[in-house]
Amino acid sequence: MMEVSTLTTIAFWAASAMTLGFAAIVVTQRDVFRAAIALAGSFLGVGILYFVLSAEFVGVVQILVYVGAISVLMAFAVMFIQDIASGSRPAQGRLVGVAAALLIFAALAFAVYNTTWTSMDELGTDQVAALTEGFYEVGEGDDIQISLTEPTDDDAVVVENGGVLVDSTGSVGVLLVREYMLAFEIIGLLLVASLIGGLLLMRDRKESEPEKGSASV
Amino acid sequence: MTIENVLLVSAALFAIGAYGVVSRRSLITVIMSLELMFNGVVIAAVAFSRFTPSAALLSGDPLTAEAIRSALTGHAFAIFVTAVAAGEAALAFALVFAMYRATESVEITDASEMKN
Repeated sequence: MMEVSTLTTIAFWAASAMTLGFAAIVVTQRDVFRAAIALAGSFLGVGILYFVLSAEFVGVVQILVYVGAISVLMAFAVMFIQDIASGSRPAQGRLVGVAAALLIFAALAFAVYNTTWTSMDELGTDQVAALTEGFYEVGEGDDIQISLTEPTDDDAVVVENGGVLVDSTGSVGVLLVREYMLAFEIIGLLLVASLIGGLLLMRDRKESEPEKGSASV
Repeated sequence: MTIENVLLVSAALFAIGAYGVVSRRSLITVIMSLELMFNGVVIAAVAFSRFTPSAALLSGDPLTAEAIRSALTGHAFAIFVTAVAAGEAALAFALVFAMYRATESVEITDASEMKN
């Protein structure tokens, strides 16, 4: 199921080359501002990769959050800090870095090629049909039946779902607010906490200093 | 495009990011490399979602809506990691600015002194 077309394969390799090429520029470029621009290119390549992997919603989130927000944050950070003229010099541990990166890559590649991955072909025909062509939820409450064909009973409560692999966006939305409801809420809390933490760290201390001084005198 | 290819790209991105984290001296480039590593992990999650069936579907039990949607667990994972990475990036830059104000430097070697 889900044969990979030649065009998809070409798009995959192009996006991979873009991602890895820009990533290599990020870690070798001395000019930090150029590194930030290359980072945006790398993020864009990853976004295209998600589209190729038929994860459209993740791809859109990637482009909105990474290319749109984090890259701009990086560019602002570079512009705020004047020290940047000196560039990002490599640390002493450059050889250690190359060795560590090669070791990590070798270990991961070894694991990838020595694992027998289960394939989508091992699924039954019903499962494949539900994943690619969609399914119907018949009934309500605790008594919900899954039907692959449109139910004929007019009285039944029917919810029509697209195939999750073909139309992933809607299913991801349902997944986020059903199975992962708690995690979804906690992520919201985490974002608020990091926002407040960021504001506290960035606060100009000079305003609060006179109070401290007058209290101690 | 097989799962091995995608996982290899993800491993390569992770390794490039790891090299950047170890070998760069400016804190800003270190954070950029960290973001690259995050992206490598998320690519792997999406690849698993795309190429491997979930255990709930393989078991042969009667189909449920939960089992069918569990095929997209990798996508949900990707969105959570992206959200955490966004929060992390914002906090990390606030820390870098705080350090720059205190020490007039963004180099990692100056961060080890814990002065001010």
